[in-house]
Amino acid sequence: MSLPSWLAKRLGEAVIVLIGLSIVLFCITRILPGDPARIALGPRVDEAAIQALRKQMNLDKPLITQYFLWMKGLLTGDLGISLLSRRPVVTDIKEYFPSTLEMIILAVIVQFVGGLGLGLLSAKYVDTWLDGIVRIFAYLGIATPAFVWGILLILIFGYWLPILPISGRLTEGLVPPAHITGMYTWDSLLHGQLGLFWDSLKHLILPGFALAMGVMAQAARIFRSSIVDDMEADHVYAMRAYGVPENRILTKYLGRLALIPAISVMSLDAGSQFANAFIVESVFNFPGLSRLGMQAILNKDLNAMGGILMLIGGIFVLIIILSDVIVAYLDPRTRLQQSG
Amino acid sequence: MKTFNRAMDSTGNAIYKFSRNKVSVVGFFMVLLVVVVAIFAPVLAPYPKSAGALIDFDNASKAPSLTHLFGTDIEGRDILSRVMFAFRGALVMGLGVIAMIVPLGVLVGLFAGYYYGTFIDTIIMRVTDIFVTLPALLLALAVASLGRPSLFHSMMAVAFAWWPYYARLTYSQTSSIRNETFIKASETIGAGKRHIMFAEILPNCLAPIFTKMALEIGWVILMGATLSFVGLGEQPPTAALGTMVSDGAQYLPAQWWISVFPALAIAFIVLGFNLLGDGIKNMVSTEVL
Amino acid sequence: MNRTFRAIVVLLVAMLFVSVLAGCKTAAAPTPAPTPANTTNYVFHTTEDWPTYIDPAVGNDFSDSIALVNLYDSLVFPTPEGTVKPWLALKWTASKDGLVYTFTLRQGVKFHNGDPFTANDVVFSMDRLLTIGQGFAYIFKPYIKSTKATGTYTVVFTLKKSFGPFVSALPRLYIADKKQVMAHIKTGTYGKALGDYGANWLLAHDAGSGPYTVKEMSMEDHLIATKFSGFWGGWNANAPQTFEESATSQPSSELTAFAKRNLDITDELLPLETYQAIAKLKGATVVTYLNGHNLNIMLNTKKAPTDDVHFRKALAYAFDYNTVIKSIYPGSSVCKGPVPANLLGHDPKIVGYTKNLEKAKAELALSKYAKQLNQYPVTMSWCAEAPAEEKVALLFQADCAQIGVKVQITKKPFGSMIADATTIKTTPNASVVFVGVDYPEAGAMLAIRYASTSAGSWEQCEWLQNSSIDKMISDALGTIDQAARVKKYYAIQEKIVDLCPTIWVMDQAEQRAYQSAYIDWPVANAVKLHKTAVCSVLMGYCMYVHDIKAYPTNRVNLLSGS
Repeated sequence: MSLPSWLAKRLGEAVIVLIGLSIVLFCITRILPGDPARIALGPRVDEAAIQALRKQMNLDKPLITQYFLWMKGLLTGDLGISLLSRRPVVTDIKEYFPSTLEMIILAVIVQFVGGLGLGLLSAKYVDTWLDGIVRIFAYLGIATPAFVWGILLILIFGYWLPILPISGRLTEGLVPPAHITGMYTWDSLLHGQLGLFWDSLKHLILPGFALAMGVMAQAARIFRSSIVDDMEADHVYAMRAYGVPENRILTKYLGRLALIPAISVMSLDAGSQFANAFIVESVFNFPGLSRLGMQAILNKDLNAMGGILMLIGGIFVLIIILSDVIVAYLDPRTRLQQSG
Repeated sequence: MKTFNRAMDSTGNAIYKFSRNKVSVVGFFMVLLVVVVAIFAPVLAPYPKSAGALIDFDNASKAPSLTHLFGTDIEGRDILSRVMFAFRGALVMGLGVIAMIVPLGVLVGLFAGYYYGTFIDTIIMRVTDIFVTLPALLLALAVASLGRPSLFHSMMAVAFAWWPYYARLTYSQTSSIRNETFIKASETIGAGKRHIMFAEILPNCLAPIFTKMALEIGWVILMGATLSFVGLGEQPPTAALGTMVSDGAQYLPAQWWISVFPALAIAFIVLGFNLLGDGIKNMVSTEVL
Repeated sequence: MNRTFRAIVVLLVAMLFVSVLAGCKTAAAPTPAPTPANTTNYVFHTTEDWPTYIDPAVGNDFSDSIALVNLYDSLVFPTPEGTVKPWLALKWTASKDGLVYTFTLRQGVKFHNGDPFTANDVVFSMDRLLTIGQGFAYIFKPYIKSTKATGTYTVVFTLKKSFGPFVSALPRLYIADKKQVMAHIKTGTYGKALGDYGANWLLAHDAGSGPYTVKEMSMEDHLIATKFSGFWGGWNANAPQTFEESATSQPSSELTAFAKRNLDITDELLPLETYQAIAKLKGATVVTYLNGHNLNIMLNTKKAPTDDVHFRKALAYAFDYNTVIKSIYPGSSVCKGPVPANLLGHDPKIVGYTKNLEKAKAELALSKYAKQLNQYPVTMSWCAEAPAEEKVALLFQADCAQIGVKVQITKKPFGSMIADATTIKTTPNASVVFVGVDYPEAGAMLAIRYASTSAGSWEQCEWLQNSSIDKMISDALGTIDQAARVKKYYAIQEKIVDLCPTIWVMDQAEQRAYQSAYIDWPVANAVKLHKTAVCSVLMGYCMYVHDIKAYPTNRVNLLSGS
């Protein structure tokens, strides 16, 4: 089937999935024990005020109605009021989303470049000591959880060789750039404040790496094994016989093919990194959306929880579709097969 | 059943192949070490009381030394002993979750794959889609925070988030096999649905399922450690690796050993299982070609 | 392209990249603007109240109090000795029956935006506090009948029933500028005329007359406030230009920030090891002082097995109080009953519970759960934001194990504990909680801890709901004569100790580290002089930044290593 109709089909499926997701999230937020209104207002407020807030939060209506009201709010951009910050969840999200976004962007760049680069290197020098080192690193990288990387990085680069900052987004006392996107690195670049750019980038390096390590290792492995598997194939022998330089074989031909599984894996991981980011954000004291989501979950802040998880789920779906598109572009077989 | 038996016949062959791969052998011994330590922890641990309700402030925060190889934590408990006992929880988490989700996921996937193309298939697959969409960690976090945190709760939470992957795997295997000639032949002779699903289709799916299982025990343990890092999972005084790392994180860099040794232990277990899993994968996949 | 050419290109690009980075780093490495010699920037840390509410009708916890104390003024100001001094009110009189209080107000006070302070603002603030009903409203709600401005500078409070500590409770009425708040109301739940009563605007702004005014309020991270030069109380030359209150973070980050001299006074939540590490730094001093709070293990009296008084007493006799004082919170003192020893009205005759395993076992044998200890574990929650509490919880667990009682510990973020406290069923058997008072006498502690009105809040996880105690508390608070009131407090304390609804762990000694090399902190000075009264027991007043002096040149010298 052609690309547009394939795309339409995928989008349709995505919408169904998102609706299902909203139902699951809604159920979770409503199962939580405790009275959200009482939690929000605190203990000493009288019943009348509690009832007023319950009414305002639609908690007195039947569950189905509550669900539809919540969906309506979602679609119009009203995610309700956060119990902890007392302001609209949307405001909280807008404030904390850019920081997580810029950290994830850095992590994605690192894991892409690092993963592919390492995988390529390892495949080129297959079975040598370089290959061995990369493989060991890959195994370690996958086995080590992000928070362990975080702690090790903090110890090494924060204390023993103190060259990188280990918390926050900017050094104390510096004024963030004027708000364009909310991401300090981009905004400072757009304003031409190179020093500020470098400072905010420095703060992203350790958290970004901690986040990227696992995926980078994974990508390196997959990339390497795809290439190595193919290296003995007939068509490669043919190319060598024709005198095509080894590097070109690696990058132009094998590499492109190997990108497919690598990208699928990386995109799945990139999407889930929004969720995994919370661990890294906690360890590095980084004020981001993921940590906000975790706080919301642990503190039973219903609206914030529902809103943030919905957002993260939505992003995840989007990334999956995007990667499917890329893979379909790179490998026409996938979309041709979808006619089932 | 025949295909299954044929696979088992060459077990000796498979073990030989496995032992040739150095990395997998290392993994095997790592996992063996973990299992042995976990089972015999009360005997092997130098200070078994440390894994329980012990307070010894006079001994608190001592650096690694000959008496305490991994040092002591802020309550005065020996970290090496606690790490050994923590292996138990990790293993229970890994094996327990896999034991829960594999049968469930495979059954669902088998069912959906068999009825491929019909309404049942669509419904089941959409449901699994939803689960796959939610980042497993956040989902597990939300579910685990519902009740009083305990090992059981975090196992349920991870199982809740993970089972769809097995369903989807089985589904894709089943749906591709489903239309093979030999299945159609069985149906023609009048074989019952149950026989077809379990005796014909399932054995052919087993290889990728085993592979996935082997590769994933490590992931499940990782997720368990992450959940306990956040505070869900086993509660004190029971030792849990993730909890030990997060508790110790506050005392960096001065008392680094409180965090670092449990962290390395996590990496060790997961690495061991990953290497082992890789070996099993190679073994199984070269068999079923 | 042949290989050598490619290699050269790569090398050149790499060199270019490195030099750009290096250039960025050295040439434009941003440093915070050089601070002029007579002003300074501060960072204060506060409790991990996440988040902080600076609305005077909403805030009531530690970080909220610190903000309110500096942004707003009250009619009176609390002294370290437990009395009050005139502040926005110059003098006051009370009627004989204690039902009518007349205050004469100070003239010439300006709010941050220039509006003049008048009696109308006092009326507005009390009305608003009572209507919104959160924060410190609970103190005044049962008593205030009406507030009226009888002149531009006189205000009259009429009470429904007498309230002995009324004046000493008034610091918690923070005066907001009526005009400014009303100019920022939006639609809300308080009716057409009042809308949201300015609640939304006051989340991130202030309408106060205090020494500092909000410059920037970020809900998760920090509050930055700058000096209000028109403050009626005047200024000394070395007071800070700006003060920042930010959320607590990992102890290791605080240690680093302190070492880099970016943190001037720490919060009181750090673990002992961190204070010890900070004490080793040059120019750092750790001070410890009793702050009028106590640490409680609150036992749920309506949930098995802690619903049995003998069981509770058994726990109280099993707990090792001395280890807490020695190893967990050094400087604190053992509790003698529910009221901290440095509060007016503390009964000196009370003999607290001490660790005594025989007595514990004897009490346990008398309880109805003696033979079924395994079926009745004691559930306990401690607050994740205060890591040292884990030691207390583990100690409790180990001590209970000695008499055969099983304890299940759970670490909970404070928001979760607040949620759990709302119903009997969800409240655990034991909760580890610090509690402070909002006016400096025993009645404040007794009311907030054991009156039925506070059941369901994190300040009372005991669900005591004892009507005779309620009557006694109400009666005591209504007594105007201080001596008589104190006697009534004694009676209440004796009764409560007998009911043993709580394990009173210790009278808290707050521990903070500060930069003694360049900060002059009145509280620390009082501690050094071994004064008994070091600062008011009301939360927040130890951080009255207006009275703190800073010497930036000393800080610069310290940083450059001289």
